[in-house]
Parts: sequence; C-alpha cells; structure tokens
Amino acid sequence: MSRVVAVHSFRGGTGKSNTTANVAVMAARRGLRVGVVDTDIQSPGIHVLFGIDQATIGRTLNDHLWGRCAITEAAVDVTAGLDPTLEGRVFLVPSSIDAGDIARVMHDGYDVALLHEGIRTLVDELRLDLLLLDTHPGLNEETLLSIAVSDTVVVVLRPDQQDYEGTSVTVSVARRLQVPHMLLVVNKTPAVFDHADVEERVRAAYDCEVAAVLPHSDDLMAYSSQGVFSLSRPDHPVAAMYDALAARIVG
Amino acid sequence: MSDPPAQLIVVDDDPINRRLLASYLEREGHAVATANDGRAGWELVRSRPFDVVLLDVLMPEMDGYQVLERIRGDEDLRHLPVIMISSVEDMQSVVRCIELGADDYLPKPFNPVLLRARIAAGLSRKRLHDLEREYLEQVEHVVTAASAVEAGTFAPDALDGVAGRDDALGTLARVFSHMAAEVQARERALKRQVQELRIEIDRTRADRQVEEITGTDAFRDLQRRAAELRSR
Ligand SMILES: Nc1ncnc2c1ncn2[C@@H]1O[C@H](COP(=O)(O)OP(=O)(O)O)[C@@H](O)[C@H]1O
Ligand SMILES: [Mg+2]
Repeated sequence: MSRVVAVHSFRGGTGKSNTTANVAVMAARRGLRVGVVDTDIQSPGIHVLFGIDQATIGRTLNDHLWGRCAITEAAVDVTAGLDPTLEGRVFLVPSSIDAGDIARVMHDGYDVALLHEGIRTLVDELRLDLLLLDTHPGLNEETLLSIAVSDTVVVVLRPDQQDYEGTSVTVSVARRLQVPHMLLVVNKTPAVFDHADVEERVRAAYDCEVAAVLPHSDDLMAYSSQGVFSLSRPDHPVAAMYDALAARIVG
Repeated sequence: MSDPPAQLIVVDDDPINRRLLASYLEREGHAVATANDGRAGWELVRSRPFDVVLLDVLMPEMDGYQVLERIRGDEDLRHLPVIMISSVEDMQSVVRCIELGADDYLPKPFNPVLLRARIAAGLSRKRLHDLEREYLEQVEHVVTAASAVEAGTFAPDALDGVAGRDDALGTLARVFSHMAAEVQARERALKRQVQELRIEIDRTRADRQVEEITGTDAFRDLQRRAAELRSR
C-alpha cells in the first residue's frame, strides 16, 4: 500500500521543502515512484528545488481544487531534469505562484474531499509508492486538511526553544486528527550537539519516534536554492542521512 | 642598573688568611661571609644561598674534603661552585679535591690575578646554572598548565610569569595561554548551547493553543470527515 506523508513544521524556514525534496529523490533512487504535492498554497516554493520555474509551471494544484482540471493534468514528471539515471520517478504537482490565485485560495478555501480525492487519484493513476505533501507552516485550515488526509505526518523541528512549544501543539493536534503514524525530524542541529542525546531528549519530550537528526549544514544551505542537495552531493554525509530518512518513512 | 654583589663565603681556620682573602674580595665588590672551621662553614652554606665557596683544605672539626663531599652530596647544593684554597701542594691532595668535585684549586698564598679569574669563572658557571634551573622551572609551569587545561582547571593568568620572557619559551607561553583561553571560551559556549537543548514546554499554554484549534466546529467537522475518508 502506498503512503501519503505530510511534511510539516510549526515555523517556516525549518527545512520542510528541502527535507521533502531530498527524501523524494532518495526514495526514487531506491526505485520508488514518488509524488510531491506542494500544498503550501500560501507560499509555494518546492518547485524551485526541482528545477521548475514560473514559465514552465502549467496546471497547478489550485486548478484542481477549483475543479478546472484533473489533478494528474497538473502533475509534472521532473525525473529527467533531476537525474535521468534515477531508477524510480518523481512527479511534482506545483502550487500556483500567481498572486491572484494565492489570494483566492486564501479567501475561499477548498474542500478536504477534493484534496483527498486528488491525492487518491494521483496515487492510483501514477501508481505511486510514496506521496509527499509539502505544507504551509503553522496550523491554519489548509495545513490541517493536508495532515488530515495523510497516513503519516513528519514534523520537522529545529532544536531551539522557539520550536519546542509549537511542535508540541502540532503533535497534539495531529493526534486528535488520528493520523496513523507520526515521525519527528530534528533539522539544523548545531554541530556542538550530540545527535544521540538530541534524539533521546526529543523522543522523550514528545513521546514520539524521531526519524532523523539532521545537522546544520553550510554545504546544504549554500546549495539548496539551486536544486536537490542529495543529487548534487551523493557522497555527502547529509545525503546518506536523507537516504536513511527516506528508508524509514517508506518503512 | 648594576647587578647585586655576588655572595661569597670564605671557610678557613687561619684568621690572617681568612681576613686577607675576605678584604681582598670585598674590595673586588663582592659580599663576603666567613667561617672559621669546616663545620661552621657547612652550617652557613646550608643556611642561605651563596654563589661561590672558597674552601681551605686542612681545618679542625671538619676538613675541606668533608665539606666538599657534603656539598656535592646535597640535592640543592651540588652545583654550587667550590674553589679549594690550600697550602697543601702535593699532587695527591689536588687530585682528591678534583675527584670530589671541586671546580678549582688555588695554592696559598693566593695570587690575586689568578683568584679574580677563578672567581669570575665560578660566578658565570653559577649564573648559567641558575638560568638553566629557572628555565626548567618555567618549562615545568607550561607543562603543568597543559595538564590543567586537560583537567579543565587552567587559570588564565597561570603563565603570566613565563609569558613575560622575551625568548622562545615566552612566545610558547603567550601562544599557549591564548589558545587555552580560546578553548575555554569554546567550552563555555558549548555548555550554554547544551543547556539550550533542555526542552521546556509550557504545557498550560500549549494545551490552551491546542484547545483553540481543536475546539471549533470546523475542526470537529474536519475530524469527522477525515475519519470517514480514512475508513473508505
Ligand atoms: N540541514 C540544514 N542545514 C542548513 N541549512 C538548511 C538545512 N535545511 C534547510 N536549510 C536552509 O533553511 C532555509 C529554509 O529551508 P526550507 O526547506 O525552504 O524550509 P521550509 O520549507 O520549512 O520553509 C533554506 O535556506 C535552506 O537552505
Ligand atoms: Mg517550504
């Protein structure tokens, strides 16, 4: 059975999009067919990591949610642009970056059933093994919808005081939505921290499995606006961590 | 700034010879102490620091050989320059003194030019030795400081004395202190950050936020529909 995984964080800039993109690529390297939906309708961005720009964006998630097209029409196969030698595939459903479109979704909202149906359709028609939802930070209605339709929610947090409370709220809310699986990913961990210690403390604080403790990486930060780090630096230790995270998410 | 006078000691049981030697050495600018037999000489040498000892060979109580033997056998005094002065001129005695570790041997009555040269040689030996000892002591300070850094007990001013030197050891001490201070600063920063890892969550406030989000009709509706969609 395929898995729908929402990647979330309470605050923005935590690393959701980079985590999503790297996990997608590592899963595709393992031969999986992977879909990525940018449900961060308010501030879309993951398409940049997949090498898609304004000019090449055609149909979007917005079009589907407004009943203008089938969701599969908005899905772009980005595999060849990423790395033609990937064993699996990566499909992206981008979100519109048109300001008017963004305002309209914000104003009107959309139906959870449509999102859910779109996701099921994608999984079925594209025969996906894994579908990742990149989300908007915080717990607004759109984000709650993405979490509600997922089998797994991955909550990304940074090991600093500002993130702890928001993460705790997120974890509680996701539990009330009865998301079957929940994983925590600690990102941007300063080098001075002992990763095993961080893992144990975070696990204990949220009573939740920690799927990865990723370091703060200057290499990643310097590269990330240009593409998917793990593809450009497959031998980098951080790439190995994304690979392990992908394996853990896929289960 | 002129150097303080050298501290000499004349040990001789012959009062005339003793006074002659002492006054000559004082005129030469040295500070001179005297002792009138071997035992008194030994006591004095042990009681305070001297730079050169002038030692008669034949004396009552304890002779020059014995005093010399004790000096050479003493941990703190073994490097003290000793010049034997005696009317005993046989080869045997000279050989014995050298074997016991005397630095020089002068016949009585003393020749002022020769005496001056030997005192000067003794003093420079002593000064070299003092420098070497001080150097080793300061090297020891640096080594101790290294252990202190390892044990986390290094005091930032521990090497101030050594760091004042204008030689390579001084440079080593300055660089070392500087690096140790940096290591300490980094460790302090690390401790601060490790404390940041303590995860403190205000549960009451978090619970209130959860209530605000989940307490609405919209959320209950979402909950219900999500459950419904999942069960399909
Ligand atoms: N492990 C990391 N180390 C260093 N920088 C990171 C790491 N993960 C993400 N970043 C940087 O943080 C910024 C935000 O990342 P992004 O993935 O866009 O976060 P989000 O989607 O949560 O807003 C980007 O500039 C990215 O390069
Ligand atoms: Mg993002």
